[in-house]
Amino acid sequence: MAIPAPDHRTTHPPIVAATNVTKVYTRGSGPGRFGRLLGRSEPPTVEAVSDVSLTIQPGEIVGLAGPSGSGKSTLLHLLAGLEVPTEGSVQFQQTDIASYSTRRRTRLRLEEIGIVFQRFHLVDSLSARANVALPLVELGVGRRKRRERATEMLDRVGLGDRLGHKPGELSGGEQQRVAIARALVTDPALVVADEPTGELDTETGEQILAEFRRVATERTVVLASHDRETLAIADRIVRLHDGTIVEQGDE
Amino acid sequence: MTLLAGTGVGVLETGGQQFDAADRDLWMTAGETRLTPTGGGGFENTLYDSRNVSAAVSQQEGVRNAVPLAFETVYVTTEDRDEFQTFVGSGTPGGGSSVQVIEGESLDGDPYYAGGTYDGERTNDVLIDQETARSLDVEVGDTVYVGGSHAAARENEMTVVGISPTFGQMLGTPTVVMPLSELHQVTGSTQTEPATFITITLEDDADSEVVQRELQAQYPEYEIRSNQEQLDAVLEEQVLVLAAGFTLVVLAVGTGIALTVNLLGLIIYQQRQAFAVLKAQGISSSLLILTVIGQGLAIGVIGGVLGGVLTPAGVALLNRLTTAVVGFDGLVQFEPRIVGGSVAIAVVIGTIAAAIAGWRISRTPPLEHL
Repeated sequence: MAIPAPDHRTTHPPIVAATNVTKVYTRGSGPGRFGRLLGRSEPPTVEAVSDVSLTIQPGEIVGLAGPSGSGKSTLLHLLAGLEVPTEGSVQFQQTDIASYSTRRRTRLRLEEIGIVFQRFHLVDSLSARANVALPLVELGVGRRKRRERATEMLDRVGLGDRLGHKPGELSGGEQQRVAIARALVTDPALVVADEPTGELDTETGEQILAEFRRVATERTVVLASHDRETLAIADRIVRLHDGTIVEQGDE
Repeated sequence: MTLLAGTGVGVLETGGQQFDAADRDLWMTAGETRLTPTGGGGFENTLYDSRNVSAAVSQQEGVRNAVPLAFETVYVTTEDRDEFQTFVGSGTPGGGSSVQVIEGESLDGDPYYAGGTYDGERTNDVLIDQETARSLDVEVGDTVYVGGSHAAARENEMTVVGISPTFGQMLGTPTVVMPLSELHQVTGSTQTEPATFITITLEDDADSEVVQRELQAQYPEYEIRSNQEQLDAVLEEQVLVLAAGFTLVVLAVGTGIALTVNLLGLIIYQQRQAFAVLKAQGISSSLLILTVIGQGLAIGVIGGVLGGVLTPAGVALLNRLTTAVVGFDGLVQFEPRIVGGSVAIAVVIGTIAAAIAGWRISRTPPLEHL
């Protein structure tokens, strides 16, 4: 659950830590048993992240920077438990989540990790409030409480007057704010965002970043972006290139 | 789907309804009842001496009346035309209550028959259906020329006294209705007085099956059939019509299912990334499937209700079209069971398709769609 503004740089144990993490993707499917008998070769592999170690303290805002293909999204997915490393370990609150079953990792994300993607991907047929409330349905929160909580979250992102609007009736910035509200509605300890302003114009992007600044006062945030403005809100920037960390330090 | 099914059911049932509407209890024929190969829709007239046979049947206990009906191919033209058109001439002894007239007057008996002497006064009246009126561009009060040959037609000037859809709908082809004796006269068959069949109406308290059995025993050379048997006998020869009607119904169901599945597949495919995000955020497969099912159910209900609401207008439009093209009124039917079936298909198939789509989405790793 959320950790209220601690002094993250010193004494607390890390909220998430990647140790010697490598992630290898295989392009295409393997040759199969008969394929191997026929001498077909294994498909090519790509090492998206290579022997990366990174520790993130509670309350910290960390920016993952780097050009396209540098591995920042993959590292973000590993930290959020969306992927498991090929080698190494990812510890969330001092527990290795790579050993979790898919179901347990899904539950961990629901309870502890909020995710914001570049594209908002809201459910078209549901209102803004229903979209935000969906994770609470999964948590078994009662209908009234869900409505209250979703309304509160949408109020916080400035959409208190758009509760009943469907995604198609909202602007791109408003949709992204709904997505942020959805990511925060379960009060997660960690929020990860992959290019959260990538689909937005400059002005709307600034509004979204202001939102993240507000979010960051209450919890840990990891942002992956190649946009300088977006990364400017980070306490620490970790720069990746070809799947390895080449530099990290204060903003 | 409701329109397609309505057309199919209409094709299958209209014949039956027309037979029912004829309000006859039994039908007497001289064998098979089929369209003549040379005619424009007329039946074979193999029941000869129909007047006397009818009169004898009318004397049978339990029989209220027996009326011969003849359908013959006739040539028809108007004053300002040179060419003749072929129609089915329907001969009935005086119109009767079963011949519905929607404009003008009905036929006034059959005085020309004059007890079999054929020297009574000719009425020279005809009833035509809407399609015949359109084809000939005539209306009530206009003159037409009708005969079994071009030469005979030129000599038989008759007046359109009314518009009647009865036989046109029954036969599915444009008709010209006139007193039976005058049909026999213009087709040169007064000597043999042939009829396609004799329709028999029973007394209210008569047992239809008993009378049918007695008549059959008395007239073994003829076929005595009930309404349904007569319809079956006619339709036996019309396999193509039955097949078309059945195919339309099957097509309607198949199309309805395919469209529902396709539409839902598209809608859910469009939202696969939204569902992938939900999964990434920790939404379980079961809630994901339930969300998709909810959408499928909503789409099914909305589509079904919309289809039901729009069907009557569609039916009316299609019926106007079919009437204009083939002259067959009320072919496309609006039936609650068709609408109900369509709504059921939309809801059930929509829900099942959504469940399958939701299940597939829930099994795909979320990042695959992001």
